[in-house]
Amino acid sequence: MNNNHILSAAIGGLLALGLASGNASAADKKMDMEKCFGVAKAGMNDCSSNKSSHSCAGQAAKNNDPMDFVAVPKGTCDKLAGGMTEGGSMKKSM
Amino acid sequence: MPALCNDLSSFARTIVHGEEPSSEIDTNYTNYSVAVAVGVYRNNYRGNLHDALAGAYPVIEQLVGKDFFRRMTRQFIGQHLSRSGNLHHYGAEMSGFVAEFKPAQDLVYLPDVAALEWACHCAYFADDAAALDLVKLAQIPPVQYSELILCTSPACHLVRSRFPIAAIWHAHQPGAPGDFHIDFDCGSCNALVCRKNDVVMVFELAEADAAWLQGIQAGISLGEATAATLERFPNFDLQAVLLNIVTQGVLVDFSMANH
Repeated sequence: MNNNHILSAAIGGLLALGLASGNASAADKKMDMEKCFGVAKAGMNDCSSNKSSHSCAGQAAKNNDPMDFVAVPKGTCDKLAGGMTEGGSMKKSM
Repeated sequence: MPALCNDLSSFARTIVHGEEPSSEIDTNYTNYSVAVAVGVYRNNYRGNLHDALAGAYPVIEQLVGKDFFRRMTRQFIGQHLSRSGNLHHYGAEMSGFVAEFKPAQDLVYLPDVAALEWACHCAYFADDAAALDLVKLAQIPPVQYSELILCTSPACHLVRSRFPIAAIWHAHQPGAPGDFHIDFDCGSCNALVCRKNDVVMVFELAEADAAWLQGIQAGISLGEATAATLERFPNFDLQAVLLNIVTQGVLVDFSMANH
């Protein structure tokens, strides 16, 4: 098939849809203004991110140095057992 | 100024590398010895970097659990200094670090999930870009379409993995049902990260669409990228992928090759 035809059809479709839908940027601008108030980065808005990252007050007051115990992941990775290696190969079942 | 600079460098070595505190440090505390005070300061230093990493890698933290994550980041912080005044720049090396971190070796998908999370983190803080100007595009004669160089948004990243990283990422977003089943046999994943209305989103792209977009991101003209993709994937649907990525704000501008 002629590639020029494919390009024309694809961009033609884009233009037809885009131009017909009118001014979509007005909605975008409205959202921009809400940046400071809404949750943006999923689960963490900018303010809380900054607060937790830059606060000097919230840390434990003592220097709790090396935890020497052998740590084992204890999170949701348990539910993803199919993705763990066993002797270097993927385990199939879950 | 050199004296202040020397003092700060010496203090930084004490905090970061555990050197003996300089004799210049004021020792007239009533409540703390110098050693305890330095320990508290060092703990805050590490705690802030840990929190910066936890902010950038919330899915990794959930996958391995908070205690393990803290232990892991402790080691990361020991190996990687913050080199920017902006803590949001800290943590770029996590994917490579996780791949080498022995206690997490069994979690083979972890480095790729970390790469995806860093892409999301960068997407969130990327510069704004104007939407693609369709009026301007409409002025290009169709015979020149093949010479179009399409520019993607600075917030757009393609992360490829042989693991279902997009599904893992979605299963760990706030509001996602806690009970999930992810099939590791479903093959590779092309995760497209983009940002729309200040929200970072992760989509999965078909192999052909990802190959095409990779060419576009490398600055190859629309004609060449499309021809190369069609050669490998005869069923590649340019119109569908174009509509999809323009809707998601992935394309922001264009120029003409050789002009």
